[in-house]
Amino acid sequence: MYTLLIVQLAVSGALMGMVYALIAYGFQLTFATSKSINFGQGELVMLSAFFSLSLIDSGLPYWLVVPGGMLFGAVLGLFVERAAVRLSLEQKGEGWILLTIILGLLGFSAAENIWGRDDRPFPTPISSDPLHFFGIDVTPLELSVAIGVLAVMGLVELFKRKTLLGKAFEAVSADRDAAQLMGISATRTIQLSYGLSGLVAALAGILVAPITTVGPTMASVLILKAFSVAVVAGLDSGFGIVLVGLFLGALESLTSFYLGSGWREAPGLILLILALAVRPNGVFGKASIRKV
Amino acid sequence: MLTVENLHAGYGTSEVLVGVSLEVKAGTVVALIGANGAGKTTTMRAISGMIRPNRGRVLLDGRPVEDQDAAHIARLGLAHSPEGRKVFGPLTVEDNLLLGAYGRLPRFFGFRARAVADLKNIYALFPRLEERRQQTAGTLSGGEQQMLAIGRALMSKPKVMLLDEPSMGLAPIIVQEVFHTIRRLKETGITLLLVEQFAKSALEVADYAYVMDRGRIAIEGTPAHLREDERVLAAYLG
Repeated sequence: MYTLLIVQLAVSGALMGMVYALIAYGFQLTFATSKSINFGQGELVMLSAFFSLSLIDSGLPYWLVVPGGMLFGAVLGLFVERAAVRLSLEQKGEGWILLTIILGLLGFSAAENIWGRDDRPFPTPISSDPLHFFGIDVTPLELSVAIGVLAVMGLVELFKRKTLLGKAFEAVSADRDAAQLMGISATRTIQLSYGLSGLVAALAGILVAPITTVGPTMASVLILKAFSVAVVAGLDSGFGIVLVGLFLGALESLTSFYLGSGWREAPGLILLILALAVRPNGVFGKASIRKV
Repeated sequence: MLTVENLHAGYGTSEVLVGVSLEVKAGTVVALIGANGAGKTTTMRAISGMIRPNRGRVLLDGRPVEDQDAAHIARLGLAHSPEGRKVFGPLTVEDNLLLGAYGRLPRFFGFRARAVADLKNIYALFPRLEERRQQTAGTLSGGEQQMLAIGRALMSKPKVMLLDEPSMGLAPIIVQEVFHTIRRLKETGITLLLVEQFAKSALEVADYAYVMDRGRIAIEGTPAHLREDERVLAAYLG
């Protein structure tokens, strides 16, 4: 009975961890092409969730709300690239760090003004009645998170491996200058990576919203976890990100049960510090050795 | 086919090229030789748009391209196989080649089918690449990476190809192989600008040559002419 409880806690936590993995994956996408990330990604997640909630309020069916919200996230991602990242990358500067943070703050104020400060429930047709697998309870809602995350990550990976545009994406990550010499526009590729990053982040927001509710601060903790996952797993391993996401989710759930919910955020931070101290390239990251 | 007039370029405030002019006629191989630091690679980079020239003109097939970015110039028909080869290490040999033809293949699906004939040509030229087509490029030897870099540049069916230091860091026997390849390409009628530190081998394959010194063209002429020039003899062919 006792082990069953542990397993139950671990499974529920791990499913939540998939959301961290998906947001972290969004960081990976832009980091691969441009060595930059959107520090306002949490606000992007939150704005996309609010936008999706408005779509639901307007009477749109759920299966249309999901792609609608994702599209909105992609547009936000493109906007971030254009407004905060492109110029600073052209000047080979680090201005994007501050600019993306500022855009995030603007997004936060905008959300408070448009949708208010209160947390609101996110209605979903997916049931929360638990299903039983070998004595473990899993709700269809939790499963939908896992399936959604794996599906969209799988699709993006397929795109990267099977289409020429996807290979161009990888070429820009590997060697930006050489990619340009092939006629691949690095600017366009970085734009695309920000669009995709916004798309997956929006999906993370939509998937998690029914569990966490929607409010201006819904993603502030989420985004810290996603950072931890991205850093611990390394910024170039999609597979590693899922594993670390699952692991962190399970660990958090167990920690908050045994030590109290106040300790819930501790494992993520401890993992982050450990990773930075021991393996700065990430557990699954490649050390950057370059053959001359 | 490629005309460079009074090109000035450099990095930051330091100007490396101070008025380079040269011409590569269609169907000819032109060698650019000179000491280290003379500005050969910088000339190549300024032509292909990897750095923006400060002054001067670059005409590709009669069209000014000096203010275009590298990706655009590549699509206009200039293939630059850069110094240090710069193959895409994490990608397979075949993907590297396919990306060479990026400008003229469909972006999503069916690109492999469209490139079959071109891949076949490259594999006929470099059988070793066919053996390793599914291997990642980073695992190839230096000589194989050079073959791949040349093959990748050829995949775009360029009007003009720039080949920068293909022999750099390679064993003598592999260098011979590289020059053998260049001769074969010449037979196919390629238009090539070749930068080489092995001046002797470069002059053997070239139709015309320029000698660079401190950011400008010091001497130019046919290889036969240059071989008799005492300055060239003393400095590069000794």
